[in-house]
Amino acid sequence: MKLVFLISFVFMFNSLDARDELSLNPQRFKLNNGLDVIVIENKRAPVIAQMIWYNFGSGVEDNGKSGLAHFMEHLMFKGTKKFPESYYSNFISRIGGSENAFTSYDYTAYYQVFPKSELKKIMEMEADRMINLTLTKENVKIEKKVILEERFQRIESDPSSQLDESMKSILFPNHYYGRPIIGWRHEIEKLDYSDVIEFYKKYYVPNNATLILSGDIDLATAKVYAKRYFGRNKKGTKIIEERVLDPEFKTKVNVKLENPNVKQTIWKKFYRVKSYRDSIKDGLALDIGLKILSSGSSSLLYEELVNKKKIFSAIGGYYQGLAKGSGLIYFYVIPNDEIEIEKINDIVQSEIQSIIKKGLNKKRFEIEKKKYLFDSIYELDGILNPAQIIGEAIKSGLKVEDVLDWNRVLKEISVADVQRALEEFQNNKNYVIGELKK
Amino acid sequence: MRFLCFVFITFFCINIHAIDFKELETEKGIKFWFVQDNTIPLVSMSFSFDGGMVLDPTNKEGTTNLMTSLLDEGTQNFSSLEYKLALKESGTKIFFTTDREKIDGTFQVVSSQLQRGFWLLQETVNVPLFNQKEISKVKKQIEASIKIDASNVPTIASDIFNEEFFLDEKFSRKKKGTLNSLKKISRKDIKDSFRDHFNLNTLVIGVSGDISEVNVKKYIDYVFGDLPRKKNIKKTSLENFKKGKKFIDYDTPQSSVVFGQRGLKRQDDNYFAARIANYILGGGSFQSRLYKEIREKNGLVYSIRSYLLPLKNDGLVLGFFQTRNENVDETLRKVIEEWDKVSKKGVTKKEFKDAKTFFKGSFSRNFTNTLSIASLLKVVQYYELGNDYFSSRDKMIDKISLKQVNKVAGELFNSDSLFFVIVGKKPGE
Repeated sequence: MKLVFLISFVFMFNSLDARDELSLNPQRFKLNNGLDVIVIENKRAPVIAQMIWYNFGSGVEDNGKSGLAHFMEHLMFKGTKKFPESYYSNFISRIGGSENAFTSYDYTAYYQVFPKSELKKIMEMEADRMINLTLTKENVKIEKKVILEERFQRIESDPSSQLDESMKSILFPNHYYGRPIIGWRHEIEKLDYSDVIEFYKKYYVPNNATLILSGDIDLATAKVYAKRYFGRNKKGTKIIEERVLDPEFKTKVNVKLENPNVKQTIWKKFYRVKSYRDSIKDGLALDIGLKILSSGSSSLLYEELVNKKKIFSAIGGYYQGLAKGSGLIYFYVIPNDEIEIEKINDIVQSEIQSIIKKGLNKKRFEIEKKKYLFDSIYELDGILNPAQIIGEAIKSGLKVEDVLDWNRVLKEISVADVQRALEEFQNNKNYVIGELKK
Repeated sequence: MRFLCFVFITFFCINIHAIDFKELETEKGIKFWFVQDNTIPLVSMSFSFDGGMVLDPTNKEGTTNLMTSLLDEGTQNFSSLEYKLALKESGTKIFFTTDREKIDGTFQVVSSQLQRGFWLLQETVNVPLFNQKEISKVKKQIEASIKIDASNVPTIASDIFNEEFFLDEKFSRKKKGTLNSLKKISRKDIKDSFRDHFNLNTLVIGVSGDISEVNVKKYIDYVFGDLPRKKNIKKTSLENFKKGKKFIDYDTPQSSVVFGQRGLKRQDDNYFAARIANYILGGGSFQSRLYKEIREKNGLVYSIRSYLLPLKNDGLVLGFFQTRNENVDETLRKVIEEWDKVSKKGVTKKEFKDAKTFFKGSFSRNFTNTLSIASLLKVVQYYELGNDYFSSRDKMIDKISLKQVNKVAGELFNSDSLFFVIVGKKPGE
């Protein structure tokens, strides 16, 4: 998790005076219209990254309207009265900047990286498109075709993605994590101009967003321009989050996808687990536990099942804990030919059981902790990363303070905590198994 | 999700137009380029050796890739597992990859762990084990990966494109090899491949980060100093490429199309003018004509792109898109139209100006972090672009005229010499 890396970094270098200029020091203020602004000053280069994080992603879509948030994200590039058509993108290219956007379940974000001298114009354009898009029916019609092509590219022509989509819809029967961000094909096909306009007007308001400015910018400058450009956007209705939970599973589900195009059998298993929002400490213990157990080619499961028993070509298991709702663990196995896919779950389970029974090795635990610290140094080699880390954390239900406090929590974690996290994981019945085969 | 895997474009670091790199030479006579940057306690090194996939023995395609995949699977002093744990414990990252005509290595280490990090690299570069046990394991993994590729439509299209487009067998083969060729590769082949590649005479190195000049020289000698010096590998020029269209019937709702033609050598005087022309045609993400015409105006694709691919002694222009089976013909026609348009009518003054400011302004993005600096230092040496490349790049771009870009576009883009591979289902079938 990027989050983790950054924080460990802050910790490490607080003790080194010479490195003080590297420590992260986010400053925060709010405009009268409710826009939340965070400034992360860093003068290493005359460059600024602007990110705007909206509090919503596919999660706010009404029933039957899946894909609308992502559709809207595409349409945000279609121009306003003042900056028509692709003026914004064109401008960014011309100055050698870069931009992009992404939609998730819990948030939608847009960013640009550009030379400091262009700050005013870029802020003006971002503020402008929050409320002044001039969409035509033609824009909507054509972009819908693009999105359908995107769905075909990502999902419809890829059996493995189809399996994932199906597994998630089972793992989250109640929560919006069960609905694909890009939308179900039949629902995308029905989205229209009025859906888009309604969505845009309802959600794209300053009090649903956090603006993060990272790089060669100070708080005073940020305040002046944020007020000047974003301050004139009117407040709207703030989204009120209602947390929906999924039921405990009483049944076991195996999802199978058989397709003659598939040449390699793949086994997957997704678990619904606690997120960092539920508990940072538990999340970290679980993350470290899975790193030891199943992440990469030095993990305990890999050592046993790939290297020693030679029955799998690969095995991996990872934790995704940054989420407003539940976290997710995903496991995969690429078996060697002779193994029947139906037997994989038992093999993996009994191996995990015996590892946990033996107890975790302190040395492995220390190595993983150390790696967290070193990775933090790598993660800081950039200007967008801090904005990305803080943005993702706060839009996943954490506080900026949680981010700053991360390393203290990491330090408190003991082998026993990790052992406990793995035991809990082992007893988790909220999972779904997926099989991809010929 | 517009581009879900978004790239971390980070620093416009340092004032790059005045990039302060040094050409250094170690006691053992190894030359390399170096940028000292103490902002972050990290050292990054990027290096390459000539060779690559084209060196694979005939019928044993995949040998080089198998060899580089085995480099982190144990050395004289470390078992495979010990090696991987030692990397973690010392904040070190080491990766090797196989390319068509070279193998690349990247090495990164946090500066408090220099000694341990360089030790691990030194072991890999000088005394890798290539144990039979690890060979079998990695072969199985590559086999699985070949089988996974076999159901990925864009990869199928790209593999078939290479297979058909290059008339020289050394270029048309697959980097990973085939299920059949992998079986034939012996431990001796792997060791031979290792010996053929790790040749001091073709080594190119770029380093950037938090390390002193004295130390970096010392460590480079320690890692590479005992490698043999052998003859350079002969450069291949490609005579001809296939033209026309090839359709592969595949049960999928969306076709994958790969296309290409001959391009220019990286060292060609017109290379940059060609780059500007291609940026306008299909290179510049949200700005290119292909993007605007085919995606923005007609909604036929999600992504479409053309790009220049320089080889060591040759060059290509390649492109790709995916579209619903029923739209393939229309999209192909539009690609050809744009190809002809840029060739015959050239680019507009505005497009030309915007492309130039893009290339000047965005260059600093290569200096976003220590690894990209190291990698750029390596690339400039690999293509022999000269040690004044950084200081003269802006002037070189300024000198390019609209007339020159249009002339180059006219000569380069030729829709008659394009070759297309389409993997999909014919509509109505």
